[in-house]
Amino acid sequence: MISAAPDPSSLAAARKLARPGPWSETGSNDSLVWGKCQGSGKTPYQVSVDVAAPAYRCSCPSRKFPCKHALALLLMWAREEMADGGAETAAFAAEWASQRADRALTKERRQSEQPADPAAQAKRLADRLSVMDAGIADFARWLTDLVRTGLAAAHNQPYSWWDGVAGRLVDAQLPGLAEQVRSMGSDVHARADWADHLLFRTGRWWAISKAWGKREELTTEELADLRVTLGWPTPSADVQGTEALPGPWLVLGAHRGDDGRLQQQRTWLRGPDGTVVVVLDFAAQGEALATPQLAGAVLDVALARYPGTAPRRAMFIRSITPRGLADNLGEGCSIAAVLETEAAAVALSPWRERHPALFAGVRVCPGTPGSLQDGAGHSLPLLDAPLDSLLALTGGHPVDVFGELEDGRVRPLSVVVNGTVLTP
Amino acid sequence: MTWVADLRSAALIGTGRHPVPAPVPGLGFRPPGDVSPEELLLDQAALADVITRAARRPGTAEAGGIADPAPADDAPQATGEAARLLDLLLSQPPVGQELRTRLVIDWLQFAARAGLCVPHRSLPAVLAMAEARPAVAAQLFPATGVRGRWLLDIGDRASVTVSGTATTRAAQKATDAATEFERLRHSDPAAARDRLREDWDGFSARERAAHLGVLATNLSLDDEELLEPALDEKAKIVRDAAAALLDRLPTSARAQRMAARLAPLLRVKGLLRKQFDIDLPPDPDPSAVRDGIAPAPRTGEPDRLGRLDAIVRGAPLDVWTAISGRNPAATLAMLDREPRVVDAIFTAAALRSDADWARALLDLRADARLLGCLPAAEQEPALLRHINGGTLQPMALAALLREVPRPWGLPLGNAVLELLAAKDGGYLAEMVSGFLPLALPPAAAEHCHHLLQRSDDDAGRRRVFRDVVQYQSFRQSLTEAFQ
Repeated sequence: MISAAPDPSSLAAARKLARPGPWSETGSNDSLVWGKCQGSGKTPYQVSVDVAAPAYRCSCPSRKFPCKHALALLLMWAREEMADGGAETAAFAAEWASQRADRALTKERRQSEQPADPAAQAKRLADRLSVMDAGIADFARWLTDLVRTGLAAAHNQPYSWWDGVAGRLVDAQLPGLAEQVRSMGSDVHARADWADHLLFRTGRWWAISKAWGKREELTTEELADLRVTLGWPTPSADVQGTEALPGPWLVLGAHRGDDGRLQQQRTWLRGPDGTVVVVLDFAAQGEALATPQLAGAVLDVALARYPGTAPRRAMFIRSITPRGLADNLGEGCSIAAVLETEAAAVALSPWRERHPALFAGVRVCPGTPGSLQDGAGHSLPLLDAPLDSLLALTGGHPVDVFGELEDGRVRPLSVVVNGTVLTP
Repeated sequence: MTWVADLRSAALIGTGRHPVPAPVPGLGFRPPGDVSPEELLLDQAALADVITRAARRPGTAEAGGIADPAPADDAPQATGEAARLLDLLLSQPPVGQELRTRLVIDWLQFAARAGLCVPHRSLPAVLAMAEARPAVAAQLFPATGVRGRWLLDIGDRASVTVSGTATTRAAQKATDAATEFERLRHSDPAAARDRLREDWDGFSARERAAHLGVLATNLSLDDEELLEPALDEKAKIVRDAAAALLDRLPTSARAQRMAARLAPLLRVKGLLRKQFDIDLPPDPDPSAVRDGIAPAPRTGEPDRLGRLDAIVRGAPLDVWTAISGRNPAATLAMLDREPRVVDAIFTAAALRSDADWARALLDLRADARLLGCLPAAEQEPALLRHINGGTLQPMALAALLREVPRPWGLPLGNAVLELLAAKDGGYLAEMVSGFLPLALPPAAAEHCHHLLQRSDDDAGRRRVFRDVVQYQSFRQSLTEAFQ
């Protein structure tokens, strides 16, 4: 509930409002919470929250979303402090809920009715492919120019130069590639090892452009991975019906990030047969991300996987029922073994940059940036880790750690201390 | 040069001006026959990328670079409501900065009393808070437990290995030594005195003066053996520092010499012996100069009144009562035409924490320094007398209230609240807002609640009352959580 707040000040305002005084006609049922809040205006604000979705609605003019009234209502609901206004759903809340249901229904209908014209669809696909082909050819030319004039010359280019290249890639419907080029514009100035980083990355881009040219020869999985790297997503509607992998799914760890324009939430899960998948959620700045799942929670839910090599992206296809908390994350491995697994994964899918890793019996060591060390005397540097918190929780004792391996460093997402899975 | 290094220099300079290296035969990579140098380089860069990523080896841990794990906790971590309240204080404080600090301190004290320690998860935030606030740092143990001590230790080690150049380290060493000396003086005054005597010859004049200043803590007559010879020092700052300390020792030899200088200047006059007649001191002899009385300046008139001040400050206050034959209060009454002398007596009494004189002087005027000289039990009644007298300015009253030991008794608490609630109490409320919530006894919170219910246009004053109520209610929650 607290993480739903757009900023700390909204939360503070909500805490002040979360008392019965200004509220009337409050009530709740399985999915809805509603109430009227007397604000500064004459008529009270009508507030409704769908706790299942989550979705919020309030008649107040605040531009914060969700606004303080919705947050306060949730606070009171969570504390079970609501003066129950009867089991009958308030008219305005019921109206909003039915509007939402209608909208969802029309959207679904529109989607399911649409693929009526296969010819038009094929034409759209051909158009897109030719735009992408041209974009890739242009990009390959840029790469050859880059190495002819030398990377040192590129190092002296202003950020706008990289941004221009990224812009052309976006126009060619290659947003994934564009994002890589754009971040290289800052990496070449920020990183000490920029020369190697740029050289290897140039090689990878070259390989991507070559692979796109030979896409007919790729397997379905390889092509799917390549599509993700280029930024051509598989629509979730195409995934929805394909499969329903039953649970229970164990939440290994989750990460919330923010690149300044988009918020991303990654949730790593492991199924009963050991399959590891990642659920991705996105939200624009200022919007609410999907409810985060607690590391160590066991979820009763079915999943459908996107195409690609393992570990695959997945989506929840039913509502989530938490079933309890696990007291460990399972069998981990040594640092050497984790790196071997990574090597195998790179051979299988050279475009993937982030690999899940479960370490067994590693100690968190202080330093800048700090590291993990295992019993064999091996160490691995940490990546944007809350070191103080990790040290406080583990006390320097060997623990199991789940994290994301990225560029030879590990971002720890959860640790197991004394039979409890904790998020540092 | 390795293949990758070759590749890197070719790429940096550009294939236009640098030949592309041949692929290493062992890699099994055979470029197609007729490719441009650019493509040959890009092909190899792609290969180098995959090879680097697929061939990562773990680093080896430095031997000895790793701290020993934390020993087992000797107290259970706080759980449930207590842990939740601490988390709330640290991450979403419902009160202002100052109160929040105070409540964290309260939490630590409650935990220590209950034999519990800070949950490991909250340790980083508590330790970070202690870094900026000495009051929190003083309460860290035992509440942060074994784990907290361990975290502090490895933090020290990390900062030592990271910290910079030699000069900053030397400066750091000097400040460390100074704090260490202060701490020693606090815990073992005699040991600190011995240490200073040993180090004396090696110190510069400035260092000698600074170290003498530290002796002000726990000053006793035993320190005279160090202070008396310091009056012969060449540097004036050292002599002044020694004289200032000896002013606080009314039984020292210097005080006796000052008494011998003061007594001849005083005469009781008037038929009813109601007035002191005070002469100005003569030009100082060498012994008086040594005791810190200003010699005649090379040009201009000597500051004779200044000399009198120095003598009054240095002499025991008994000289006055001995000559008047009356108690301090009656003696002061005989000085009502000599405000400057009273000022000097005032300073002397405050420096020596002389309770008898402080009592008498407080009747003349309320002063925070004197209030501190009284035994704790007498401070509140003395202050209440002044409040009821109604002569105190808000500024002076706030300074006095700040000095009274906390928590206050109910009579003082209610009296202050009455003053704040009065029509023109807003200004005083502003002045005491920082410490009022901490000083009021819990029993006065009810009164405060009533005041808050009252309609009041003064937003500042309302905030002060609200702070009190919030602080007390949070403290109440803490009490319940730790039961």
